Parts: sequence; structure tokens; C-alpha cells
Amino acid sequence: MSTAVLAQATVLAHTRPMEGGEELVLAHPEGARRARPGQFFQIGVDAKGTLLRRPYSIAAIDPGRGRLSFLFSVVGQGSAWLSGLSNGQAVDLIGPLGNGFVIDGGTSPVCVAGGLGVAVFPPLVDALVRAGRPPIVLQGARTGSRLLPDDRFAGASVQVATDDGSRGWRGSVVSLLRTVAAPSQEWFVCGPTPMLRAVIRLAGSVGVSLDRIQVALETPMGCGMGTCLGCVVPAAAGGYLLTCQEGPCLRADQVAWDRITDAFHE
Amino acid sequence: MSERTLSVDLGRGLRLRTPVLVASGTFAYGFDAPLIDRARLGAIVTKGTTLRARDGNPPTRIAETPSGMLNAIGLQNPGVAVVRREYAPRWAQWDLPVIVNVAGDRVDDYVEVARRLDGVPGVAGLELNISCPNVAAGLQFGLDARLAAEVTGAVRRATALHLMVKLTPNVTNLAAIASAIADAGADSLSAVNTFVGMAIDVRRRRPVLANVTGGLSGPAIRPLALRAVWEVAATVRIPVIGIGGIASASDALEFLLAGAAAVQLGTVNYVNPRAVAEVVEGIEQYAADHGFADLSAFPLRPSVVPSHA
Repeated sequence: MSTAVLAQATVLAHTRPMEGGEELVLAHPEGARRARPGQFFQIGVDAKGTLLRRPYSIAAIDPGRGRLSFLFSVVGQGSAWLSGLSNGQAVDLIGPLGNGFVIDGGTSPVCVAGGLGVAVFPPLVDALVRAGRPPIVLQGARTGSRLLPDDRFAGASVQVATDDGSRGWRGSVVSLLRTVAAPSQEWFVCGPTPMLRAVIRLAGSVGVSLDRIQVALETPMGCGMGTCLGCVVPAAAGGYLLTCQEGPCLRADQVAWDRITDAFHE
Repeated sequence: MSERTLSVDLGRGLRLRTPVLVASGTFAYGFDAPLIDRARLGAIVTKGTTLRARDGNPPTRIAETPSGMLNAIGLQNPGVAVVRREYAPRWAQWDLPVIVNVAGDRVDDYVEVARRLDGVPGVAGLELNISCPNVAAGLQFGLDARLAAEVTGAVRRATALHLMVKLTPNVTNLAAIASAIADAGADSLSAVNTFVGMAIDVRRRRPVLANVTGGLSGPAIRPLALRAVWEVAATVRIPVIGIGGIASASDALEFLLAGAAAVQLGTVNYVNPRAVAEVVEGIEQYAADHGFADLSAFPLRPSVVPSHA
């Protein structure tokens, strides 16, 4: 049963934690109480000619202060409208939606973030640390200025990879993952589909079975609530899974990786 | 204003407490979308249901366009057996009619689905989907007056349920098709389904939808849908349920004034879960402001529909 609520939330801060990434901090006590790592909200945008809400994963959950945040880059009319918001303005939200990550494992896992996919990890890392499972966090980006600062992952061991070598490991975050990978590790992964595919290929060669990997997926979305059936990904068992309801966090063995497409990055 | 003011009798026992329904494909089978106020809802129309389960089309299935949305879901549904066995018993507990949208490739498919739902507690009526633009077969019934009448008549003989038939706007002879369907035994018409459209991703040089074309819904189609309802309502003597980009009470009033006996809200449900309640309240207020006793006072032209309660 969904715990989503419809609410107006007030913008408390609008910052730019990294190049190509903006963050909105919103006052939403009920949402902050209900939200779990890996879930998302449908944000209403009021941009000219747009119709649908925009799904954004939760980049920070602070139930104590009643706050949520969303990390985004400006890619279209909806995100451009969000980018124009300033403190005190109201945002119309539905959420939390989706299933969230399963975090009840027994060992310290590896979190693998590519590009803006890093947005799902601060709440997950926080939950893992509090569960006594401090993770290794691997974050990759084109260049150092596009990385979310390490201090967003308190209690974790953070390593970064950049395509241009300006910070940390030179190369992809998947090639960095290869250096820390060990059989039977648990992985949490979010990033562009080509990166996800590379992670899946690597898993087979380092002895990590797909049922030990959770991926947070991003697809075009209509309703976000399981009614329009627009956001599907191909299922390993045949047919499709709803990103909004059965995901966005899926075990990698649930997904038909040979049939998956990417509407955003390829 | 009492509740009675907004009630509507669509015929053959299908009586709704308000003239606001949720359109097929925007409410699944009624178990999701918890934020929508069901107390104000007249009826739910389910996702298109076929004889056997269907996986639907590969993604990408939806695309936003100016004030609209293209979809090519491809009738993903669990099949009529699951609907009858698992969903209908739950609907039977509700104080809200559920109309099952029925789709198929052949007349026999429609007839078999209708036969299996006939007399099943929880199923209040059928909406015949002879106009889905996103599957290889099925659409042709809605494009041709003779074929539309043939499938309507065959289903009519297979069920005692209220039979609503959903018109496609992708035709040039809408009135003739509507008349043929009415003459074949439909109890009501819903107008209209989505308009066939497409979008191309110019950067990646390919159609956005995997299906290439999809059905356009949302405010972008509202004036087109309104014109269709205006024409059909003047043509047939059975109730017409208006559909097409309704997002507010004012939008719904346009359709009621054009001659619709009720309206279906579709795409707006994805965006504004308050829309159903807002539309019902707006219709109530309009009736109060104009001193209308019931919905029969709304149409601008003398009504040919005798069915308002």
C-alpha cells in the first residue's frame, strides 16, 4: 500500500553542490517521516506547455528537521522551472513513491554512483551507516567539479573516479569498482544505463551474483503511481516491470539486461 | 445541492452518483491511485482488458508533448480470467460501479470477454474499446461503420450489462459511425479516444516512442474532442460520455453544455489527484448558480437524451 501524500512544500534552500547539479531543500515534515532511501517524489512543475509531473529521487532525508532534498541538472523545461525556484516558494509534491532499497543485508556493501545517479546515495549511505554496515562509496563523473562532495557520505569510505583524471582514479567508476570488487559483495548501483550494463558484465567476472546487486532505475514516467504503465523495463522473467511501483530499486537479476533501453543517455 | 442533483442514469441499470468517471488506462483496475477522492467519483473505467494476458509494447511508451502526452502502452493487461477471478470480487465490495474496458483483435475475442464478464458481481458495465491506436489489430473496428456495428451487435447479444462503446476520433465520418453503433444496440457512447500522433527525438534522430506512433491525450486535444462530442450528441439518442483533456470544472462544463451526459477524466489524474473532486464541486456550483435542478438542464441544445435521473 502506498504511503504517498499530496503536499505543498516550501523551498528552504536552493544550492549548487557541484557543477551541473542543483539541489532544492524543501520543508516537508510528513514526507521526511515517510520517505525511505531509493524512493522518489513526483514534483509538479508549472512550466509553459508542460503537463506531467517530474519524478525525482530523494537526495537527503532529514526527519528530525522535517526536510527533504532533490538533486537535479537542468535538461528540459521542467528542470529549468525548478532551477528558477527560490527560498519561500511552494512546490507541489506527491510521494514518497516507489519501493526503495532493501538494506537488511549483513555485510558492508559497495555503492556505485555514475553522474547524477549519485542523487540516490546520501540517504542510502546514511541508513547503511546507521545499520552498522558502513559502505564503500564509489562516485564517478566526467571531471572533479561534477562530483558531489565527499562530506555527503559521512561514515563511508569514499573513492572517486573522473574521466579526465582531475580527481581520484582516472577512468570510469566501473573500472574503479573492479579494483575493490570481491566475490559475494553486495552492490548498490545508480547511473546511466551504459554504466549499469558495464557493472552487470563486471559482476559476472568477479563472482558477484546478480541477486546481490540492487539498481535504481530511471525511465520516462507518466503517473508514478502504477496506473499508466508507461515506465516499464523488460523483466528477466518475461514481460515488464513498472519502474514506479515494482522499482525504481530492482534486484539486477529481475531485469532483462539484453532488452533494456535508455531514453536519456544513449 | 443534494447528491441527487448530479446523479445520472446511463441506461440498462447503470446509475452513477456523479457524472464524473475516470477514463480507461488512467486508473488501472482501481486498486492504485489512493489520493483520488472516490466518494465524488461516478464510476471507474478499467484498463483495456483482453481475452488473454498481454505484455504490452516495449518502452519507450510515453512522451510529453505541448500540453499533452503520447502513449503507446499496447494494452498491457492480465487478461479477463484474472479480472473475473481476482479483481471483480473486490469491486463487488465497493460502493462504486466499475466498468471494464474490453479490447480484442477479432469479434470473437470481444464476444468471449463480454460473455465471461456477464453477470459477474462487481462488474457494472462494459466499455468496448474499438479504438486503441497502439496495437496492430483492433483499431479497424472503430474506423468503419459496418465493422463497428458488427462488433457492437455481437457483444450486445453476449451480455446483459450496460454497453458503452468508445469512439475513435481518427475518422472523417464520426456521426455515421456513432449512429451505426447506437443502432447496433449500444447503451451509451464515450467520445473520444486518443488522437494518433508521434514525436521525433531530433538529437538522436529516431521516433521517441518504440511503437513510433501513439495516442495523444491531455489539454492539447480538448477542443477537438469537444467538437466531436458536440457532433455525436446531436446525432444519437443514447447518452454520450465526453472525454478529452478535461482538467478542470470549466473544461467538464464545456462537455456537459455540448450535450454530454457525463465526462471521463483521464490524463489529468496523473497530474492532479484533486481533479475529480474539483470537477464535481465545480459542476455542483454551476448548477446552484444557474438554478438547475439536475443535469438535464445543462446542454445548450434541446436534449435528445431522455435518461437523466
